[in-house]
Amino acid sequence: MELVAIFVTAILINNFVLRYFLGICPFLGVSKKIDSAISMGLAVTFVMTITAAVSWVINHWILIPLKLDYLQIVSFILVIASLVQLVEMFIRKISPPLYEALGIYLPLITTNCAIFFLALMASLRDYSFLESVIFGVGSGLGFTLAIILMAAIREQLDLADVPEALKGAGIALIVAGIMALAFLGFSGMIK
Amino acid sequence: MSTKSIGQEFTKGLWDENPVFRQLLGLCPTLAVTNAVINGLAMGMATSFVLIFSSLVVSSIKKFIPSQVRIASYVVIIATFVTVADRFLAAFFPPISKSLGPYVPLIVVNCIILGRQEAFSSKNTVGRSLIDALGMSSGFVLAMLLLSAIREILGMGTFLGYQVMGPWFEPWIIMLLPPGAFITLGILLALALQIERKAKSWK
Amino acid sequence: MKLSTQMVVVLTSVGLLSGSFLATVGHLTKERIALNKQRETEKAIIQVVPGIVSSQKLYEERDLSVYGGKDAEGNIVGFAIQASGIGFQDKITLMLGTNTSLKKINRLAILDQKETPGLGAKIANSEFFLLYWENRDSSGTITLHKPAVSSPEELLPTEVNTITGATISSEAVLNIVNTSLEQVRKIIKEGKLTGEAQDVN
Repeated sequence: MELVAIFVTAILINNFVLRYFLGICPFLGVSKKIDSAISMGLAVTFVMTITAAVSWVINHWILIPLKLDYLQIVSFILVIASLVQLVEMFIRKISPPLYEALGIYLPLITTNCAIFFLALMASLRDYSFLESVIFGVGSGLGFTLAIILMAAIREQLDLADVPEALKGAGIALIVAGIMALAFLGFSGMIK
Repeated sequence: MSTKSIGQEFTKGLWDENPVFRQLLGLCPTLAVTNAVINGLAMGMATSFVLIFSSLVVSSIKKFIPSQVRIASYVVIIATFVTVADRFLAAFFPPISKSLGPYVPLIVVNCIILGRQEAFSSKNTVGRSLIDALGMSSGFVLAMLLLSAIREILGMGTFLGYQVMGPWFEPWIIMLLPPGAFITLGILLALALQIERKAKSWK
Repeated sequence: MKLSTQMVVVLTSVGLLSGSFLATVGHLTKERIALNKQRETEKAIIQVVPGIVSSQKLYEERDLSVYGGKDAEGNIVGFAIQASGIGFQDKITLMLGTNTSLKKINRLAILDQKETPGLGAKIANSEFFLLYWENRDSSGTITLHKPAVSSPEELLPTEVNTITGATISSEAVLNIVNTSLEQVRKIIKEGKLTGEAQDVN
């Protein structure tokens, strides 16, 4: 039950993009086409799941036993950076078609604050290993949902007559605001 | 190497290259912690601290860092100062630390900071990098102040906790919630663009 | 120097310098941060169990801690229960003060919440919510009085008030209280509440 709550909360209630404002750069940058939005979303979900698992191990097997909590920020960011590199090399070896699809988005993920926040939050909330992984998958799917919805709206928006100054980031942020408003409706779902 | 005068080096961060309004960098903290002026200000200062010290360190040791490992070194330097800021707030300003929560460690992935190291400090002298960092920090703090002032005044009727709206004012709670942040920033970006366009057409 | 050697040397020294610098900072701030946390907890315990001079941690698990409040002679005169649960948006953490039989709630304090500002966040406000939690009868289950009333006299001793416009947040607090009381009763019955735990004061 606890796991279901974590999963649903991460996707709908505390959506990383629409409630915590994380991953705004790719959310605005890679949401012009639905296809690329899906690839980006999947790449993020993939990296998030692995990050959740690896950062849990680092935190609980190294940092906490050795009382090195003040090195948490430095180690998490280094772990994420090297992890993305490894994942990239791994996918290139194992599945070239998947690499084709996700390739250009993977390096972008290193600077995505959502991944770092995920590792931090899982440690702050004292999640168990399984809870961390579920939290990672849920948060990734939440990001995917938000970016796909955004891309769908922006494809329509291309046909609309938007005032010159609002074009680009301005109207995208206002659309995100309205989406965030809609997502507020999910609050209180989990008891 | 930059050829701007020292004055221009500072003022470019305030408007021409303002990190938030012109470069769209560091939007995550800009949106997340601007629900009250005190939070926006504290976040602005913490980010400035990290930016200024990282720029100082990076510009002074740039000669020794091979370009292949520069990003990794910058990230470690930035993460070090972020940890200092985080521990300092938790030790001496616990209420602020509590309300900013995980967004202080998040400064480490704020693209403004890594961006300035890569684009400026790694190529310019210590003095110029300091001026550049001061200018960018001021630009960022100004953006944080503007956004948080709008959100706090409309959302609670207060500024830094002092009542500024009369008793007739019904607070717009939505301004304190995520949608208010997105919409306010969207409108401000459009305004900035409009001002820039007008200024250009006068020239 | 060869490039690869230089790379390793630079990265190692950056890492070592940053590590030792942070170790110093971590060491210097550690006690203070721990002290801040402890003070916050102590303040809340004294607030919810009136008239005590010290307190002691009796039980701890995730999302539930029990503290014993002691009078000047060192007798436990009431419990302070720190519990967390899911609210409207995020976790709510509260401190509940009861007498030693758990049949009466003295007071309630909210330690941490991220409810909607202006609506659900009123659970941390005395005038709207916490005032109605004083001196409740907790021998059975506590219930919520709907619709909201404007003075504590209008409530039964087993009832607490609802916040208009934030029923879910009010219910969430109620759930955390009822659940944690039940858990503590079970813990006492199983004899897991120890007096040997470390002193917090």
